[in-house]
Amino acid sequence: MIGIEGCLSEVMSIPGALDAILVEPISGMAILGKGVPDPVRSAAGLTETFRAALEGVAMASPEGTVRIDDMIITTETSYHLIRPIEMAVQGTLLICLRMDLERSNLALARRRLCTITDQLTDQLTAQSTAQSTAQ
Amino acid sequence: MAPPTLDAVLTGLARDNATGSVRVGKEGTVYLTRGRVSYAESATTPGIEELLTASGRITATGVRGVRQASGPEADGGDLLVNKGVLSRGELEFSALGATLDASFFLLRSGAPRCRFKDGDTHWLGAHWFFDIPGLFRECERRTEQLERTWPSAELDDRPVVPVERLGGGHVLLTAHQWELLVAADSTATPVDLARRLGRPAYATLLAVRELAAAGLLAVQAEVDAPALPKRKAAGPARDTPARPRPPQADPTDVNLLIRLRDALEAL
Repeated sequence: MIGIEGCLSEVMSIPGALDAILVEPISGMAILGKGVPDPVRSAAGLTETFRAALEGVAMASPEGTVRIDDMIITTETSYHLIRPIEMAVQGTLLICLRMDLERSNLALARRRLCTITDQLTDQLTAQSTAQSTAQ
Repeated sequence: MAPPTLDAVLTGLARDNATGSVRVGKEGTVYLTRGRVSYAESATTPGIEELLTASGRITATGVRGVRQASGPEADGGDLLVNKGVLSRGELEFSALGATLDASFFLLRSGAPRCRFKDGDTHWLGAHWFFDIPGLFRECERRTEQLERTWPSAELDDRPVVPVERLGGGHVLLTAHQWELLVAADSTATPVDLARRLGRPAYATLLAVRELAAAGLLAVQAEVDAPALPKRKAAGPARDTPARPRPPQADPTDVNLLIRLRDALEAL
């Protein structure tokens, strides 16, 4: 099991990671960032991005509502990965990671984010948590 | 002399690297750990106890049990994690959320009398730390965000009353806005609803302003409207709360239709 700071360190240890920030998307607040020059500005922008995607994709879906597992945005130089996490008590937390386009592996990064999410919300069995912490 | 504001008190305590609690009049309490804010609670916002209960992870009795079992070293949070109620990350996230929510309302509350109690701790313990300038900045950002969303505090303290009919044929809501509209009973204010739903009061206030900006809430002028106009001599019954609007037709449209009909008949 990891805490919020541990979560950010794990995210930054993903190969190719350039910077990362944890955002509370309801108020648009930056909780913790690493390598992000202006966390407040980044948090506002990423909250908007996430919300626009939710609304746009909901409109384009036959059900009219969606749950996003993760978002991948590819730019000329980098990947932006945004992953919402359902937290038990206070709603959603967004993990936002920017990775170098050349030096990163998208599939690997997505899997790692999945594992980190499970560690943060304690979805793993005690044994596998112990293993991943030992790594 | 006016009592020092909460800002000034907290700034002073941060300089002294103080650990303890600041009781803010009857409004709430801010807890400091070595000059940083580790928890805050306010009479306006749901505290960690209410948030935990509302999440369904633990009952109110369960929370009371943990609170009583927590020792002088304030290990209530650790007990919750060890019992498997929530993860370490979730504990930190909810503690920081509740602290910001309470701070936002405490810092707006003017200048109540502040009393510092050295060494006092909250039963939950310290799980997240805000330096004082950072906390002030975030509260300021939140104030600006509210203003940007809908620049009027008119609906902040009034009962939330959704409009009976949409202006358009379609509306898109966030999950929080939906919960709010479903829970709105025309008597509960945003703060009441936050408590009822176990949601942060700030998030609820923001959702109310978003709904107001989208024209989904009746503003006060409309809520008051049935009471204000004088009763006409032989007016229609006014005791029904639902006020279906009369169809609004533009007379020029009717004229156009008559001309069209005449023209068609002349063919």
